Amino acid sequence: MSLPAQLPPEKLYRICDPEEFTFNSTAELEAPLPATGQQRAIDAITFSMGIKHEGFNLFALGPNGTGKQTTIMHFLGNIAPHAPVPSDWCYVNNFEKPRHPKALKLPAGKGCALSLDMQHLLEALFTVMPAAFSSEEYLIQEKNIREKLQEEQSDAIAELEKKAAENNIALIRTPTGFAFAPEKNGEVIKPEEFMMLKKEERESIEEEINRLKTVMQSIMSQIPKWQRQTQEKIKELNRTISSFAVKPLIAELRHNYESLEEVKEYLDSLENDIIENFEQFLEKEPEAREPFPGISPGSSSHKGVSFNRYRVNVIVDNSTTAGAPLLYEDKPACHNLIGDIEHIAQMGTLLTDFTLIKPGALHRANGGYLLIDARRLLSEPFAYEALKKALRTRQIRIESLAQLYSLVSTVSLEPEPIPLEIKVILLGERSLYYLLTQYDPDFSELFKVAADFDDELPADNSGKVAYAHLISSIARRDKLHHFDRGAVARVVEYGSRLAAESTKLSAHLQSLSDLVHEADYYATSANKELVEAGDVQHAIDAKVLRSSRIREKIREATLKNSILIDTESEKTGQINALAIYSPGGESFGHPGRITARVRLGKGEVIDIEREVEMGGPIHSKGVMILSGFLGGRFALDQPLSLSASLVFEQSYSGVEGDSASSAELYALLSAISGAPIRQWFAVTGSVNQNGEVQAIGGVNEKIEGFFDLCQARGLNGKQGVLIPVSNVQNLMLRRDVVEAVRKGLFAIFPVTHVDEGIEILTGIPAGEPESSGNYPPQTINGMAVKRLSEMAEKLRKFSASSEHDKE
Amino acid sequence: MPEPQTTLIRHIAVALDCSAHSIASLKAAAELARLMKADLTGIFVEDINLLRMAELPFSHEIRIYTAEPKKIEPSELERSLRLQAKSAKEALQRIANELRIEHSFRISRGMVPAEVIAAALEADLLVLGRSGRSPSCKKGLGSTARKALAEGKKPLLFMRPGFSAKEGPVLALYDGSEGARHALKAALALLHPGVTLTLLILEANPAKAVEMECELSEKLVPPDTLAEYYHLPPSDAKTLARYIRMAESGLLVLSDQMHLPRETVHNLIEEIDYPVLLV
Repeated sequence: MSLPAQLPPEKLYRICDPEEFTFNSTAELEAPLPATGQQRAIDAITFSMGIKHEGFNLFALGPNGTGKQTTIMHFLGNIAPHAPVPSDWCYVNNFEKPRHPKALKLPAGKGCALSLDMQHLLEALFTVMPAAFSSEEYLIQEKNIREKLQEEQSDAIAELEKKAAENNIALIRTPTGFAFAPEKNGEVIKPEEFMMLKKEERESIEEEINRLKTVMQSIMSQIPKWQRQTQEKIKELNRTISSFAVKPLIAELRHNYESLEEVKEYLDSLENDIIENFEQFLEKEPEAREPFPGISPGSSSHKGVSFNRYRVNVIVDNSTTAGAPLLYEDKPACHNLIGDIEHIAQMGTLLTDFTLIKPGALHRANGGYLLIDARRLLSEPFAYEALKKALRTRQIRIESLAQLYSLVSTVSLEPEPIPLEIKVILLGERSLYYLLTQYDPDFSELFKVAADFDDELPADNSGKVAYAHLISSIARRDKLHHFDRGAVARVVEYGSRLAAESTKLSAHLQSLSDLVHEADYYATSANKELVEAGDVQHAIDAKVLRSSRIREKIREATLKNSILIDTESEKTGQINALAIYSPGGESFGHPGRITARVRLGKGEVIDIEREVEMGGPIHSKGVMILSGFLGGRFALDQPLSLSASLVFEQSYSGVEGDSASSAELYALLSAISGAPIRQWFAVTGSVNQNGEVQAIGGVNEKIEGFFDLCQARGLNGKQGVLIPVSNVQNLMLRRDVVEAVRKGLFAIFPVTHVDEGIEILTGIPAGEPESSGNYPPQTINGMAVKRLSEMAEKLRKFSASSEHDKE
Repeated sequence: MPEPQTTLIRHIAVALDCSAHSIASLKAAAELARLMKADLTGIFVEDINLLRMAELPFSHEIRIYTAEPKKIEPSELERSLRLQAKSAKEALQRIANELRIEHSFRISRGMVPAEVIAAALEADLLVLGRSGRSPSCKKGLGSTARKALAEGKKPLLFMRPGFSAKEGPVLALYDGSEGARHALKAALALLHPGVTLTLLILEANPAKAVEMECELSEKLVPPDTLAEYYHLPPSDAKTLARYIRMAESGLLVLSDQMHLPRETVHNLIEEIDYPVLLV
């Protein structure tokens, strides 16, 4: 078997040649290309926005910072202005059922006009009504009606008084009513004089008085009826007068809204209400006074509140909207989405009316597009449910949460729901999308389209140009220095490194934007006109440095031998594996020691990490694969008579992933065969049961982690890293690593199979089976087979002697 | 406006019986008292007729809102009258304190008209409601007002609800007689700046009427007075009342010592439903 050659420097880093660009600086680039490489997502957006059926809302999924919102806003920004402008919506008083305010739909711009018209109507009523009710005609008619009552009463009483007087009986007004008494010379007869009268006279007087009392009683009993009749007549007169005053005003309004049936109906009920409640327009403004010292009744306590009933609450005003509304709701709380009914505190009680209905984002975006961040939506109590309900029922029903859950008990409203015609676009991470799809049956019905944003772009010319345009648009938007082409090339290389693949570029726009800002800072500090490659490199290095505290501490501990990593000698059953640490977003690699020990046993491989529950399931799986490999290679003819234990030395926080499984296998092979491993190598890569080495993540960080340690101890030309051959495409190594390789001070070996790896690590070939099926003795496999046979023999002898002892 | 004639009226009496007319009278009296720096006496008369009636064996009262006859208990009636008096006194005190005028309150018992007139003997002006607690509440003057008129007590102010003695327009009848001049003087004394004084010149001869108007405007009415002049031949009370109503004046000021027959003046007072000051 031929050993793989170490990788040449050009394989370790894909250089972006500035000469590939046709521009000198990003200042020459004009329009941004926001969605390069996101064709799949763009197609999904186009489909979702184009289809008018229910439930075809969109979920844009992709990692944060991939420009989902920018892309969608840009896309919709192009189509929304060409869509029809949606209607205005107003809430008006429902005169029959004040608890259920009515929703009025008006053509765009008419909502405010109606509100203004109503305002003018009110002002006019304050002039017209008092004028009508203080007119001579009205006053005379009213006076006549009242005087008629007065006359009826007076006449009846006067007649009775006259009749009584004829019989010398006086009608006297008492403090609370009327009474009769005999009189003499205009004075009531004295009791003693009365008693001196003859009995017949007294009886006659008494009789007469009793008769008069009866008549008086019947007059009194008529009074309420007269009063009622008078009241009716006055009411009728008032109705006639107010109707006469109001009708022309309303007719004018009705003419303005001739084509709007709903508005006309509203105006009819408004007219009736004004006629019935005309008095309120006659009242003079009461003097402002505090009902209790220190407690102000508030400015809207009297006139404001009573006339609110005639106002128009314009909740959606599209008078200045061009095309369909496009809205991003930053805080998708329930009340911000579906609106709210506010209350005002008045003298310790909470009051509300339809003018306190506040619109939500769904109202404002009705007829257009609403973007919401899915995570924020889900973290707001009841907001997701409220949104679903609105989409499902296709109407916005404003419900107060506090009322709904009986948290407060006060006067509230149930406004008429407003029909909803909207496209909702949720933006979120993929995990959220998958969770919602799996656990919420409504979700798939309401968000039928998913726009899956890629996290990578191809590192071809289009991708690089897209990067240049992106830098240009960021520089323009945020007023930064433009980048020269060298700087753009460096950003492209950084994009490849972020994508962890030399043929790809990261679509994580946030990281790129950060880098552009940071590079601009260094260019500005150096008083440069344009940002150069050096500034970009400076920004990258500074960023690494800022987050290097933990990495430095670990390396320091290794250099002091607090963490034991051997990079000089050769050791049996010991190998340097490579691990990735990711504290706070920035990740780095560092070598860790794996050791393997073997002893007589029944063929199991003990993963100490798993035994102490510090190993994750993927790691455990990797170790079990090793048993499969060993069994397949060495236990076809005889059972494996060993037990092996594997451990990550000095690991205190758990191990996960299978990227160390190839290293563990090398350590095991070394331990079984007795062949020492060269400690100046480090290994990464997972392995399958056939011994093939498979790709892993974070290859750049891992290589750089080992390189940094070797460099600190001094590069000697022997040191190097074994990586899976399939990870070669991911290499975008740091320039110092590439330089060291170029100078022959460091090596990177792409490995396909463990047999290649073990030979590089031990200098001894793995060994191919001969025609007899045996491995040559001076190979790793041969040495291992020999050792295993010896162990099997020992075990057999041991078993036989123990059985003999039993007998 | 001429200086208020503080020397003319020092003491004002007002009859109080808690009726709407008497409340208007009290208000007008208080306003005049303040204007003229006079003191004010409230007169409340416990109607002897009522008390006598209560002692009659068969006396029953028919209440307005129940229409049920109820035996009148003298003690209850006494209490009611005391309450009325108290309420009248309180009303007087309230308004007097508000306007800061000297005041007193007097209760007497007897026939109401006679007692009121007797109690007001020392007063320079008696203020009465046009009709007080007359049973039928009909138009025209009540018994007290009528008696005061008949007895020639002057000056007399008959008030009715809905009018104010303060800042309202004033109308005076003028026919060149001494009494009319007297009335004009009083009207000018009551007139507030900026308020119109309507002068109704009663003269059958138009030329003479113009002459009278010239005399008025040149000599008798101060030049800064807003005065309007109307000419009218002397006629009966009804015609006069109609003209006065047309002029929509507030307080009517007149004298019964004019060329106009006294009876006509009295009938006019009876007829007209504006407040009247008789001097």
